[in-house]
Amino acid sequence: MKDKLTTIIGIGIAACVIFTFLFYLIAKDDIELFDIFTILIIAILVITSLYLIWDRVKNLKAGLTVQDERLKVVGYKAGYYGFIAAIWSAVGSNLGYNLIFDQELRGGLVTASVVLVSGIVFMILYIYYSRKGTLNENKNQRIQSKI
Amino acid sequence: MKTRTKEFRARYDLTQEDLAKKISVRRETIVFLEKGKYNPSLKLAYEIAKALKTTIDELFIFDD
Repeated sequence: MKDKLTTIIGIGIAACVIFTFLFYLIAKDDIELFDIFTILIIAILVITSLYLIWDRVKNLKAGLTVQDERLKVVGYKAGYYGFIAAIWSAVGSNLGYNLIFDQELRGGLVTASVVLVSGIVFMILYIYYSRKGTLNENKNQRIQSKI
Repeated sequence: MKTRTKEFRARYDLTQEDLAKKISVRRETIVFLEKGKYNPSLKLAYEIAKALKTTIDELFIFDD
């Protein structure tokens, strides 16, 4: 029941994001280089979110668990690197913009870059680890360490 | 670490999906486990051993 509810909420949120994104594209008169960069990141986030939702629905239909301990580990690991990416983008976005364009980046844009960069890093790594595995050969004695 | 999950699964004619449903995990977790790409927690290892009517020692072989 909880899995179904979270999946439905996820679908609802994804639908809202997609509609907002489409309205933004329709309403925008001129699309500049920075806008293309932002649109690409949002598109990647939306596509990966749809993939994750499809994966959940597939498991729900098969009667399997949607979230288990392995996916929790995957989430923690991807979240860790997403956090690192957030810190780096908070510092690097304004610094990079300053170096390239000799201007300060507006506070709202710094926040947007932090959210987008950390989100995209999280999504990409989540999918990567869930498909390739998280096993680090030097730290693979989980059972031994728990005994 | 190696595992004999596939061998024990075949004994009871269980598919990966059947075993995953029995112990409430995703099918991919069983796939990764059998390929040696995921080491389960002690709790999950115990659940798998219980589902396959064996012990953790029989099911998992540690490389020293």
